[in-house]
Amino acid sequence: MPAPTSGASDAAKPFDIVATYNELLRSDPDLTMPIAAIEALVLLLTHSPSSTISETLDLLEKSTAHLKQSIPNPIGLSAGTDLFQRYLITTLQRPGQLGPAGDFNAIRAHLLSNGRLFIRRAKESRDKIAAFGRGFVRDGSTVLTNGGSRVVASLLQKAADEKGGPSAVRFRVIYVLSSAKHDVDSSGEPEGMQMVRALRAKGVPVATIPESAVAYAMGKADIVIVGAEGVVENGGIVSRMGTYQIGLLAKAMDKPFYCVAESHKFVRIYPLGQYDLPIEQRVIDFKTEEEVADEAKQQQAATPAVRPVNSADSSDVVDFTPPHLISALITDSGVLTPSAVSEELIKIWF
Amino acid sequence: MPSSSVALTPGLASFLKSLKTNPIDTSIDDLISLLKRRQIRHSRSCATATAYLLRSVISACRTSDANKLIERVQYVGRRVMAAQPREMVVGNIVRRVLGLIRDEAEDDREADFTLSDAGSESQPQTPRILDDISESLSARHDGSDRSSRQPFTSLSAPPISMFSLLSHPEPESSLPGTPASASPSGRLPSQIHNKDIRAEVLDGINEIIDELGQVDDQIAAYALDHIHSNEIILTHTSSTTVQKFLLKAAAKRKFTVIHAESYPNNHEATHATVSGQTPDDDELLSTEAFQKPLIALGITVILIPDSAVFALMSRVNKVILGTHSVLANGGLVAAAGTRVIARAAKVHQTPVVVVSGVYKLSPVYPFDFDSLIEYGDASKVIGYEDGDLVDQIDVQNPLYDYVPAESIDLYITNLGGHAPSYLYRIVSDHYRKEDINV
Repeated sequence: MPAPTSGASDAAKPFDIVATYNELLRSDPDLTMPIAAIEALVLLLTHSPSSTISETLDLLEKSTAHLKQSIPNPIGLSAGTDLFQRYLITTLQRPGQLGPAGDFNAIRAHLLSNGRLFIRRAKESRDKIAAFGRGFVRDGSTVLTNGGSRVVASLLQKAADEKGGPSAVRFRVIYVLSSAKHDVDSSGEPEGMQMVRALRAKGVPVATIPESAVAYAMGKADIVIVGAEGVVENGGIVSRMGTYQIGLLAKAMDKPFYCVAESHKFVRIYPLGQYDLPIEQRVIDFKTEEEVADEAKQQQAATPAVRPVNSADSSDVVDFTPPHLISALITDSGVLTPSAVSEELIKIWF
Repeated sequence: MPSSSVALTPGLASFLKSLKTNPIDTSIDDLISLLKRRQIRHSRSCATATAYLLRSVISACRTSDANKLIERVQYVGRRVMAAQPREMVVGNIVRRVLGLIRDEAEDDREADFTLSDAGSESQPQTPRILDDISESLSARHDGSDRSSRQPFTSLSAPPISMFSLLSHPEPESSLPGTPASASPSGRLPSQIHNKDIRAEVLDGINEIIDELGQVDDQIAAYALDHIHSNEIILTHTSSTTVQKFLLKAAAKRKFTVIHAESYPNNHEATHATVSGQTPDDDELLSTEAFQKPLIALGITVILIPDSAVFALMSRVNKVILGTHSVLANGGLVAAAGTRVIARAAKVHQTPVVVVSGVYKLSPVYPFDFDSLIEYGDASKVIGYEDGDLVDQIDVQNPLYDYVPAESIDLYITNLGGHAPSYLYRIVSDHYRKEDINV
């Protein structure tokens, strides 16, 4: 409710959307970036006294722009903020209770009171995807996967869970572990080890291979399943570095390449290639001997606090897998061909 | 128990004949056994039989409740589909009928909830009054101007799936069943609407049956756009859809057809198609039997063995193929040998056009390609007279090929030409999401 009292108390301590977003991501490891962004916006609305439509939309727009600027890789989160904004606008335009004739406070109250529900639904959508995707893991097949995608983890675990049931799926997993040093999580092991352990605990034989062995291992794999950070308009995916090469290799070897992603990760960008993503990544960094020496000097001078920021950046690097490499996208709204993504996006934008 | 009173050889004709006289459960068992024994084989015969059966099921089902109707069709549908899981069209027709019932049920409910039901769940008091007004309004309009309500339905009914995350709780309120508890005052008028459901569903099924009858002619109407003078067309099997397509073009243009004979499963029918002596064992072809073959229209038809396809492909301008069923990802299941032709066409950069009715388009995603392939009579490869050989070797006769979407350039359906990547759209237009797993 737009209680003026809450607005007054906030005037003293301004709401920091970036901090809220980061806090949300930290507090719940299961939260995806778009959902954290939606949550942050819901909290923002709770803290702001605005009661007119245009005021609210203006506030959302400004905060979204601010949030996008402050986060090194805003592709995932912009899917969330766009979805939130479009939902608000579409609901306001639609005839009915929440429409222009209706009470703006009603939709506001709905959004504010159902924050937890959105998170729950987002998590439920993973189960839904797992249910859709289960059919892809066949008896006796070998699945190649990479990264620490939570959706892929839940899909494979769901398939493994059925072992006790009537339709026992016996499958093996080749897990591509990032060999880069910076991809080590807090416990000192590469990201994804947790999922490897969980699968092994369920009795699924898992082989871990370095990224350099993907081509070598591809011949043993029957299908490739990867996660995604964002699904772009042409049906391609933005995902962790290394997915593109897996896609290329799978295509070259004629193996089906499936991407698992929740539909709230669909984002309205249209990258034309690897270097057309709206983020700055310093993956390819040309240097001469002179520059290397300069940098070393600078690093010695710099405070150690600067360093972790850099390393965090490099662990987040992504690449773009074009749609022609993707056999299908397994989403919570069904199994889609890459070209169906643009239609879903068109539905919310136009 | 299949009825023994019918003297005809079991098949589509005998089934349709017995459907009128037999009790419905006998007819269901009848179709199941026909499907199991493969006495109904062509996709279109299967589709027609299923549509007629469901029409009888619905007219025999003395209920006005949409949910009971759906349950009944689902039950029958599951049994018939289980009889021959590889015959995808059976499932397609069942899904379309289910979609019809759901549409009608929702159309009815639209009358009850003219307001977008997004808001009505949380504040039930306010919109209730409005509902009653709109009910009385639309009760008068019902039946007469269904077409005017249609656009409104499409505007608000299909929820935008990406918004499902943010929308109000219980987005399923539009599904049959749930809103029954919403308003006791609204029960009575909706019962009256329900009376219409069955009649409208039966109309819908009749439309499907009509569509099945006209589909080849509708597809053939596009022939002149795709076949040009002096082209060399390669085709395969004795598909009537392809034949009609070619005949339509042959009326106006001169071209050459290279016909691969598709040994060993379809070569006899193919030979007959080429020479124009259609054997009358196929009930469905009764009208086509009077059709002139392509040669009678002055078209040069060259019959070749399947093994010559690659050698001749360099001279071919276009490959036109029929299919058994089309899958949601754009791939297709077609007569054995089709994949070889599609691959050869790919190597020579020859365009591959697939002609298929929309009824063959299945929402099923091919998880496991191998499971889609049906195996046929091995004696067609090696006759039993070579008994000593059969003992020593393993003879296989796959009836179908899975052809991946990448090797197809264009699909021509009764709705027009589509790229393989567009088929998902037609799938979502024809089948309801909740019916994909019947």
